[in-house]
Amino acid sequence: MISTLLQHQWKSFWRSRSAGRNVAMQIFIGFIVLYLAATAIFIGFSLDKILSEAFPRKEIISVYLGFILYYYAFDIIMRFILQDLPTLAVQPYLTQNINRNKLVQFLNIRSLFSIFTLLPLFLFLPFITTIISNKYGQEVSLALVVCIFSLTIFNHFFVLFIKRKTILNQWWLIGFFVVIILVAAADYFQIFSLRNWSSALFTSVIKVPALCIIFIVLAIAAWYNNSKFLRKNFYLENLQKSSGEKKSTDYNWLQRFGVYGDLMAIDLKLILRNKRPRTLLLLAVFFLVYGYIFFTPEHLSKNDFGFFLLISIFITGIFMSSYGQFLFAWQSSHFDGLMASNMNIKTYLKGKLYLLTTFSTISFLLSLLYGFLSWKLIPILIAAWLFNIGIHSVLTCFIGTRNYKGLDLSKGSSFNYQGTGAAQWLYSFVILIVGGAIYLPFALLINSWSGIIAIAILGLISFLMQDWWLDKITVQFQKHKYKILEGFREK
Amino acid sequence: MITINNLVKVYNGKVAVNISNLEIGNGIIGLVGNNGAGKTTLFRLLLDLVKSDRGEVLSNEKNVSENEDWKNYTAAYIDEGFLIPYLTPEEYFYFVGKLNNRSKADVDEMLAGFTTFFDGSILKSGKYIRDLSKGNQFKVGIAACLLQDPEVMILDEPFANLDPSSQIRLIQMMKALNEKKPMIILVSSHDLNNITDVCTRILLMEKGLIIKDLQTSSDTLNELEDYFRV
Repeated sequence: MISTLLQHQWKSFWRSRSAGRNVAMQIFIGFIVLYLAATAIFIGFSLDKILSEAFPRKEIISVYLGFILYYYAFDIIMRFILQDLPTLAVQPYLTQNINRNKLVQFLNIRSLFSIFTLLPLFLFLPFITTIISNKYGQEVSLALVVCIFSLTIFNHFFVLFIKRKTILNQWWLIGFFVVIILVAAADYFQIFSLRNWSSALFTSVIKVPALCIIFIVLAIAAWYNNSKFLRKNFYLENLQKSSGEKKSTDYNWLQRFGVYGDLMAIDLKLILRNKRPRTLLLLAVFFLVYGYIFFTPEHLSKNDFGFFLLISIFITGIFMSSYGQFLFAWQSSHFDGLMASNMNIKTYLKGKLYLLTTFSTISFLLSLLYGFLSWKLIPILIAAWLFNIGIHSVLTCFIGTRNYKGLDLSKGSSFNYQGTGAAQWLYSFVILIVGGAIYLPFALLINSWSGIIAIAILGLISFLMQDWWLDKITVQFQKHKYKILEGFREK
Repeated sequence: MITINNLVKVYNGKVAVNISNLEIGNGIIGLVGNNGAGKTTLFRLLLDLVKSDRGEVLSNEKNVSENEDWKNYTAAYIDEGFLIPYLTPEEYFYFVGKLNNRSKADVDEMLAGFTTFFDGSILKSGKYIRDLSKGNQFKVGIAACLLQDPEVMILDEPFANLDPSSQIRLIQMMKALNEKKPMIILVSSHDLNNITDVCTRILLMEKGLIIKDLQTSSDTLNELEDYFRV
């Protein structure tokens, strides 16, 4: 029975509208998955070299053992953010003659089909089966393999349990993050060391391989706990959505922008009240601090301005572009209504352009903090911002008129290619090429500063021409309106 | 006044709508026909949501695909695709009101008139529109249309998802509206009793064609039943 249900899932994956209709997309996703797996295996097999290079003075096996718990701590966070709960999969079977235990088992097994289950195996097993096996023998390496498997299973069901709990009760979410932050802080300030713990723990497994039974027990406990919880809370409404009361909200500060303010308020609510855009917002916040990786003192002293400009455009434009790549598609479920409502198309498009400008400006203001690293970054950030609000935003709207694929708002955004098509792949290319075409001639012929000034001036001019652009975008939109509507209507 | 001239829409070689000439004046006009007859496609053509392969739709003598004036006096509810799922009903009503230059106070006043129709399950329900039942979503859509005080109102199968009390309320509201001011109310339905009760004129569609155009009389119900009995 369970194998039949799993077969259905397999079919649902390959026949889903987002995957099934587009062979190129399937191949692409296949490549990405293969690439990730290959990278993980490669890292796994060359871990000994990597470790001995990175920690030349330490013994690599103890470094390796110290790393394991770190990985699984990080794994918990990643799973918590990215892993989906496969609850809906069970809906069509609820009324069929299948008993509940079977369905719970099915949900448990179904959830294991995830990149997170494979990744640790790829990463850890090669090292165990080669280096450790050579040094301590097969018995020890088998015990460690069991530990890795068990920890993966434990993490998997532990996170599923916590996630389901947080849906029922928001306090679990807060509690979870508080614990994570406390552990991270304690490790960072060396109140205790996760690495030493990890090292000690697995060293004792090496000494007494039978200790791996503890891990098996842990894994079984997590699995059992999760199954018990699922059986008790099997009713769909409990598992799908939080039951909290929804309130109307006013954004009074947006009122001064008239109807554009209302349109923006709707977009804000779209972002805050739907899963997929909300995940995107979280990622954007994460990318905002990305600059700290690149704006290092060594880099800054090299005056690599072209590179800084690229990073600055990325930082001040990331939220705008990640939202903008699906500009109209976000509203695909109610695009019919928007187009038939009492609102000019130009008004609607102007609202979108304002929204993109606002997003970029907020990112820009936050990114000004990088000015503390070096004053040189401030003019570059300003140029990047002008480019984003003047040119990037307009291009986003133009490309948006060529996107005919709707989005399902309720799914998370990680590993979710639903609604992704050629327009999205083209998007970043176009931005890069346009940016490069403005910057490079000046930078190569005169100097970097002149390239940055060119970006800033052209961005500003284009921004001042917004109304002119808007007419052009409206014409394009009108031309493709029916095709967009038709595409969005297909669910 | 809506005028349709030589309107043709073909999907994958199959004719969805093919209407050579049709004039729709004020009154409550019903559209009946089996599934796939082209009712919804016709409505979408009237709202410029689908591009016609040939012909034109004129609303007050202006082509709806070349001019947006019709939006000022037209309200429609075809399916959930007309609602914004992540808003509360109130937020949605205020938004629609704002687009039609109605203040919040105006909207509140009009909503007060829907108390019985809403039956306590729409306003202050603590839910987003996406969490409402299909029938309640329909009520939100219909109320949003009425809020706009339109001259042309298009409703696709409004009776299908409503409970009996709400169906009766809706029929009363449509009749009252029609008496209050001259307007076009276009309704499609599979419910022949309701449609003959409320409509002054009934159009029967089959495979994209309008094959009957009836002024409602006491025989109309029998005539329609005879057609559908086959």
